[in-house]
Formats: sequence, structure tokens, C-alpha cells
Amino acid sequence: MRVIPVPSHLDDRSLDQLAASLGEWPPSEPVLLDAHATEWSSPSGFTALLTLGQSMREAGLPTPRLALPTGDGVASYWAKAGFLRHAEELFELHGKVPRRRTEEQSDQLLPVTAVREARDVHEVVGRMTERATKLLKQELGLEASVVGGFGQSLSETCQNIVEHSGTGGWVAVHIYNFRRRLGRKAAVIAVSDAGIGFRRSLEATQAKRFGDRWGDGPAIETALIHNISRFRDPGRGQGLAGTKRYLARWQGKISIRSGTARVAITPAWDDEPPMTTGLAWFPGAQVTIVIPAREESA
Amino acid sequence: MTPIRLDLVLREAVATPYSDLVTRSTGVAVRNHLLATLRDRPLADAHLDFSEVGFMDFSCADEVVAKLLLEVAQLPVGRIVLHGLREDHAEAIDHALDRYDLTLAALTADSGRACLLGRVAEDWAPTFACLHALGRTAAPPIAAELAWPVARASAALVALADRRCVIAHPDATFELGIAR
Repeated sequence: MRVIPVPSHLDDRSLDQLAASLGEWPPSEPVLLDAHATEWSSPSGFTALLTLGQSMREAGLPTPRLALPTGDGVASYWAKAGFLRHAEELFELHGKVPRRRTEEQSDQLLPVTAVREARDVHEVVGRMTERATKLLKQELGLEASVVGGFGQSLSETCQNIVEHSGTGGWVAVHIYNFRRRLGRKAAVIAVSDAGIGFRRSLEATQAKRFGDRWGDGPAIETALIHNISRFRDPGRGQGLAGTKRYLARWQGKISIRSGTARVAITPAWDDEPPMTTGLAWFPGAQVTIVIPAREESA
Repeated sequence: MTPIRLDLVLREAVATPYSDLVTRSTGVAVRNHLLATLRDRPLADAHLDFSEVGFMDFSCADEVVAKLLLEVAQLPVGRIVLHGLREDHAEAIDHALDRYDLTLAALTADSGRACLLGRVAEDWAPTFACLHALGRTAAPPIAAELAWPVARASAALVALADRRCVIAHPDATFELGIAR
């Protein structure tokens, strides 16, 4: 049994530690994800964990075990966030499993939700109802026009799963306090899929241009920075372009991790490098979008 | 002509109660539905009403508006004019049209303001706004209003008419031809 510790604070950056603990892929022995000491997970952490479970299932590996957090209220929060509802289908859960109930909470715009087809994207966007719009306005001080762009970004990132991954994925949207990095609240859209990743998606049309330099980093950069998709249609690849424009206007951030690289477009409040390569491999692709509150709403 | 309500087209095209124009496959279905409707109304202008549409993403803006405009060029259809656009709708459509060097006239939802979306040359927007304010007129009053030579105003009006954003009349006058 290979024991893989889950970081105490699991988010899009500390996912690298989890990936490093995974070792070779596919794992040669059964896996136990040990989250007993995990105190907190961002939506990116939830969706990435589910992606890992999904990848192991799709690779025909033994069902991984997941030791649930033991800290006060942590596992309950994981249940309320909608994570456990999906996790119990992909993991053998160990520890005290709280009542499986997804609740509307003030910090959750969208609990962890599966995305497999276009209809799911409609459902996700449809759930950005009055309540979510109200929360974006109340919690982040965003205006109605900003909320429209938020729905567009959510839709486009979810569609990337349907259009490019070749399998299903997960999305979650939360509001929480970015105390250290930002000093105020932010809405976070986390999307993760267990699919073929950016490099394989773009390889047939783009690898030749890069020659030996081709890899996960250039592949993500091609899509995120240069708005190029595997389709020749000039209307394609514009979802990320539109999302970037929206984020630039509101000092938002987008980062994409796929395979062994992460590429980020960062505003002044964040210090993530534009491209990080040589990371430990993790399945599929993970997109994280952060939209900060207006400064006066902090 | 009665505007075509996009929210109703959406529901018919995908047979669901959604009011958001999202996902590329939905956009394709809506465009095909619109094309079928427009084929039944030869030579008519197409006024598309977005006022009851919720979110619209960039993929749908591309499929429903930009690609519709490209395909309509092959049909005996008049102009396409967009109505009831929210700011986020307009932004998505503006970006989609720009990719294909296309331009459209639109009316916004909040104020009913007429605007141009897509690839817009420098002189077009003030000319369009001036024509909106003055109503049907020829180039000289526009030129006077903008303090331009008449040839400049005339060139902008002709370019806008070529792109079917305004209507050119045989008496050398122009008008927006959309509700004010």
C-alpha cells in the first residue's frame, strides 16, 4: 500500500506536493490518500482529488482509499462542499463519514459538480442563479456586468472539459478570504478533468512548430497565451481569450496545470511565475480562476 | 418585422427550459434553427432579440451571431440587427465578430442605445452615432455635425452600408433602419 499524504492546506499550489508523492504513474501498488491531518481544501483541491480518483478508475487500478480529515468540522465541510458525495463513488472512504449532505453555504457559489457533457455546463451556469448573483454582489462588491463575465468564464472553462478532455471532470466555485496573498475575499472557479491534457490535445497541430521544446508548458502557453486550440476554425480558442480579458479588467488570475507544467497569468497581488515546468506529473488538466473583491468591499 | 426572440429559439432548438446561451453545441443548434426560420422569410431583415437571454458565452456568440452572419451572406436575407443586448452579451459578440472582420448594428437592453459591434473603423462609430441622432439624412449634415469633409462622412456611410449596418437609399440618404 502506497500512502500519499494530502497537504494540510490543499489548493492549486500545494497540489504539487501531492503530485510529487504520487511517484510513478500508474502506481504499482494500491494507494491510500491520507487526508487525516488535512485542515482545509480549496475548490481546486477538491476537484483535483476527484480527478485523481477518476484517473485511477479509468486506468483500471484498484479503488484508492481516502482517509478523511479528523479535525473538527473538516470532514463535515467536505461533505457540505459536495466533495464526499462524489468521492464515495471513486474512493474507499476511511474514517468518520459525516452525513452526506450538500448545503447551500454563504461561501459556496457552486458545490463540487460533475461535468461530462454540454447539458452539465447548462446546469452549472443555470445554478448561477439569483442567489449566486446576489452573493457575488454582496460578498465581492461586483456589479451586474461583472457577474455576466463571471458566468461566461465559468461556462468556457467547463466547456474545455467537454470539448477537449475526452472524458469528464469537475467544477466548484467558492468565495473565501485570500488573507495572505490578497488581503480580501475572492471568488475561485476550480475546474479539473482527468482527460488527455493540453499537450496531447494540441500535439497533432502544434508540436512540429516547437520541435524539441514541445512539452506541457509550451502546450498550455499555446492555448492560454496565444489562444490556439486544436481546431482550425478561427472562432475556436476564444473562450480563454475572453476569460483573460475579463480577468485583466478585474485584477483576476488564471492558472492552468497540466501534466508537469503550470502556466499562470497573474495580477500584481500574486507572485506565481508565468510558467513553472518540471513539476511532478498529475493527470488531466486543472484550471483555477480567481476573481478578487473590489478593494472597498474587503 | 417582429423580432425573433432568442430565448424562445433556444428552448425550441434544444428542447429544454434553459435561458442561457452557453456551449458550442447549443450555439450550433440555435444557429441552425435561426437559418431555417430566415430561409422561410426571404429578403426580410432579421431582428434578433436577446432581452430574455441570461448568460451568453464566447462560444455561443461565435456560433449564434458570427457564423450566422457568415452563412446569411449566402441567403437572400436582408440585414441582421441585434436587440436587447446586455453589456456582457455585447462584449462576447463584439469579440466574436472581430475575429472574422465582421460588423453589426445593435441596440442595448438598458438604454436602447444603438451601437456597432465587431470590427469598427475609426470613422464608423461617430458616423453611426450621428446618424442615430439625426435620423435619415445624407452625408453633408453628418459631415457638418462632425466637422469633417463631406467625402469623409460619405466614405464612412458607404462603408457602413456595405456592411449592412445602415440602409443606403437611392436618393443618397442613409438611415439606421432600426427602432430608436
